[in-house]
Amino acid sequence: MPEAPARPLRILLAKLGMDTHTVGITVVAHALRQAGMEVIFSGLKQTPEAVASAAIQEDVDVVGVSSLSAGHTRNLPRLARLLRERGAGDKLLLAGGVIPPEDVPLLQEAGFARIFTMGTDTREIIAYLERWWAGKLTAESTPA
Amino acid sequence: MSRPRDHIATPLTAANEDIASEAQRWESETRAPYVRKHPERRDPFLTQALRWPIRPLYTPADLAACGFDYLKDLGFPGQYPYTRGTQPNGHRSKLWTMTQVTGFGKGEDWARRARYMLEQGLQGLILEHDLPTTNGYDSDDPLVEGEVGRAGMALDSLEDLERALDLPFEKLKYLMSVCNAPQPVNLAMIIAALEKKGVDPRNFVLHIVNGILIEYTCVGRYIYPPVHGLRIATDCIEYIIRNHPNWAPISIISAQLQPAKANPVQELAFSMAIAMAYIDATLLRGFDIDTLAPYFHFVVNVDMDFFEGICKLRAYRKIWARLMKERYGASRPEALKICMMTSPTTIALTLQQPLNNIGRLAIMATACALGGAGENMTTPLHDEAHALPAEDAIRVGAALQHIVAHESGVAETIDPLAGSYYVETLTKQIEDAAMAEIDKITRMGGALRAIESGYFQQALGREQYERNKDLEEGRRKWVGVNHLVLPGEQRQIEIFRADQRMEEEQVARLRALRARRDNAAVARALEAVRAAAREGTNLVPPCLAAVKVYATHGELCNAMREVFGVHTPDSQLTGV
Repeated sequence: MPEAPARPLRILLAKLGMDTHTVGITVVAHALRQAGMEVIFSGLKQTPEAVASAAIQEDVDVVGVSSLSAGHTRNLPRLARLLRERGAGDKLLLAGGVIPPEDVPLLQEAGFARIFTMGTDTREIIAYLERWWAGKLTAESTPA
Repeated sequence: MSRPRDHIATPLTAANEDIASEAQRWESETRAPYVRKHPERRDPFLTQALRWPIRPLYTPADLAACGFDYLKDLGFPGQYPYTRGTQPNGHRSKLWTMTQVTGFGKGEDWARRARYMLEQGLQGLILEHDLPTTNGYDSDDPLVEGEVGRAGMALDSLEDLERALDLPFEKLKYLMSVCNAPQPVNLAMIIAALEKKGVDPRNFVLHIVNGILIEYTCVGRYIYPPVHGLRIATDCIEYIIRNHPNWAPISIISAQLQPAKANPVQELAFSMAIAMAYIDATLLRGFDIDTLAPYFHFVVNVDMDFFEGICKLRAYRKIWARLMKERYGASRPEALKICMMTSPTTIALTLQQPLNNIGRLAIMATACALGGAGENMTTPLHDEAHALPAEDAIRVGAALQHIVAHESGVAETIDPLAGSYYVETLTKQIEDAAMAEIDKITRMGGALRAIESGYFQQALGREQYERNKDLEEGRRKWVGVNHLVLPGEQRQIEIFRADQRMEEEQVARLRALRARRDNAAVARALEAVRAAAREGTNLVPPCLAAVKVYATHGELCNAMREVFGVHTPDSQLTGV
């Protein structure tokens, strides 16, 4: 067992636009909380602007967006741009849901580090986040 | 894990005592030694959704242990408590009505497709709106960009509905509309459009789902805080019963709780508690229960656990009858007989190896039939998870119900599973647990309070997590997903890409309307809606006046937003 990190990872889980499918994001939220992470939910029908503000205000480390409608090609890059413009480009961006493979490069270019499509095992998401968090904490504690 | 409730066992008759002691002997002398040599496949065996333990064998002793009483618990078909069916002759005189939902309409294509379906002999249609409409926005609202006309028809003003309802009304006898949060606006637009077409409302049935409380519980297409949502729904129920008594003002779509992973007990209890909230609110408007209760419709899904599904449907009939009689004092048979449509659930279907879904649909449709089917059964299509259904899928879907009805023999005698030790035990356990849960919700203050405190949402959130864990950790085997997976199978998902031009046209049309109409009249009409919202008078009449001067859908929803505020639930109130 690796040593428990000094502070738990904080993640904002978000839903954008009119897409109100919440089963996937609920399962992920519960699984991440079980794994000791601090999970904040944006609520439904949010704009990229509102989610960017919430991410900054809540000082989260990660923003994860769930998308089960075609809005992802427009909304997700906009969210990434807003975060960069507001000096919050260091937050890890993740997306999940129904995202066709042909749209993945577009989202990766926009700044999304990883796309977890429907059916992803929550243990895979947790392992990914734990690895990233451990790396970040190490980088932070290493004197420059 | 939930557990069936313990029972005070009814005294064992001499025969049951014999059976119980023989069963014990069988267990120790015959089964146990065998199991020692041949360990069981699972430990424990559990039902799919409730995760209740399943015993290896059920006998009359189990019925006695759960307090089963034939006359009290079953009775006879067409008689209280209707466990064996609301029809006196089951499906021997008349089969259930077989229907099929085939994709969505979008934009103006809706009328064209609707005309085609009517030419094929259909008499009823479902009008599905896009998400901007069901969430109460006009098509030019910045929040809805890219969503206009996608999941259904865009509706901004009466003009849109006049175009959509340009149909041969001598053929169209039934229209179902799903538009819950903005219900008075939607209802007003349909009434105004029917008036303009000269349709005699007595010769036509409009069925509005009007299901706002389930939106707060799990679907998410809400606008106003729950207390106002309930008031709005009640206004619509009252308006329809008083003005169009042959129409259908309210449905409880339990089939939306099921995909949100409500287990059968939660699904039954939340649905009934929600029905009771509408009933209580409508009774205060001066109706009596014998008039009101027959207006309620239920739409119920079954999942793959055959017996959970069958027992749930039997329990639905009995619990409705008991609640109406015991809690509300209803006496007319029409008030005690649940009006129900059943359907195999889409969430049991897989994207992987889609032909396997035909097998799943056959099992679930058979469960629906054995559970009593209701007046109506609708079956989804095996390739539905992919994209718009192909013609073959539509044909197979239509044939499926006929195969169940005419080839399997399950419809030839009434309630053929009655008396099964397992079926009756599970039916009774589901009924008892659901009644206990209904009592708990009643003590909380009813469904409205359960929503406002997040009780329903959190219960479903936990269930979603636990059920997913069952799958991830292999306790539930799902062919194609975590069992018999085809290596390298490409999952095809088609996402419908919005036609940008269609959205632009819809927005241009809306803006032209705003420039052309009598804006002073619109402003006065919107003020009347605000006044009704504030004063608590019925919202439908002022909405009707407003849509006739072409106030838009979004403007009317906004007028009510100004009075009611908006619902912005957090983690606690969404269960996320």
